[in-house]
Amino acid sequence: MKRLIGFAVLVGLLVSTPGEAGRPEPKVVATIGGEDVYQLLPVGAIPAIDDPKFVSGKKADRQMRAEEPVLGVVIGGEARAYSLWQLDAHEIVNDEIDGTAIAATW
Amino acid sequence: MVYARTLGSTTYTFQVSGRLWRNSLIMVDRETGTFWSQVTGRAIDGKHRGAQLEKVEAIETTWEQWRQAHPDTKLLKKSEEVLGSHYQSYFDDPEKMGLFRAQWLAERMPGKTLVYGASVGPHAVAVTDGALDDSLVLASLGETPVVMSRARDGGVRAFVARVDGNEIGIQLDAETGEVTDASGSTWDLSSGLCISGPRSGSRLESVAVTPVYWFAWSGFYPNTQVIDRADR
Repeated sequence: MKRLIGFAVLVGLLVSTPGEAGRPEPKVVATIGGEDVYQLLPVGAIPAIDDPKFVSGKKADRQMRAEEPVLGVVIGGEARAYSLWQLDAHEIVNDEIDGTAIAATW
Repeated sequence: MVYARTLGSTTYTFQVSGRLWRNSLIMVDRETGTFWSQVTGRAIDGKHRGAQLEKVEAIETTWEQWRQAHPDTKLLKKSEEVLGSHYQSYFDDPEKMGLFRAQWLAERMPGKTLVYGASVGPHAVAVTDGALDDSLVLASLGETPVVMSRARDGGVRAFVARVDGNEIGIQLDAETGEVTDASGSTWDLSSGLCISGPRSGSRLESVAVTPVYWFAWSGFYPNTQVIDRADR
């Protein structure tokens, strides 16, 4: 099986593509528990999804590759999957499943 | 990681704060501007500082495996074609990571090793992929016995190995591949359900599992136990 990586990818921004044009230097904006908090991007620059839409069956299959990694949740018998490739660009989905408000995060 | 986003009578909407702490994402809620750690679900700064979001059981697997296990699943609709990860070079490069808090954590294993983290109160364990190959892993998190294994759908799940306050002595029968306990009951560790024997119908309490890089997990839980193939 392809190895999956479960980790918020913001660190990727901190350490990837150094010197990319227009990307500001990380700034220490606070210290919590003795450890620095870095501001890498403005709030909301990576847009969370607040109004998620869903597909299923063949329509879903057409959007996905077999080996594509997903985050999967089941609540009250209802299963939902979130493509991690898609979540790279959003990191948070504010969703509701069977009456339970959840945040799916990546 | 998936969290319930209702606390008390308020439902929060989370945004990406653009901030990073302990090598990981900080979320901020629109309602109060409180900052929350994505790894722990705890409010680290702002109005609700100290509050804790409830974790919701979730797994990471492939679309193929998830679809097989859940044929009726809904999928978050894509508005455009996404053919891969933006961050593939970050995932692939072992040198690209955040900072370790201490040298001994850096020496324990490579920082980009994927571990499955679980915690009960202040106690934590990090289990490597190799330790889960064809096996189940038992760990004591403080007083709590926890069993972790790879489920049918490819995800990793963990449960408290206790029924009515008693540790059940769970183990994998290497010959039959069945998971049994000291009472002779058989368990399904994909669901946590007892499927036959004296405890038939009992269900184990689930423990959230966080797939995460070692450098990040060890930043939150520097005293974490580590279970690798060699340790089990």
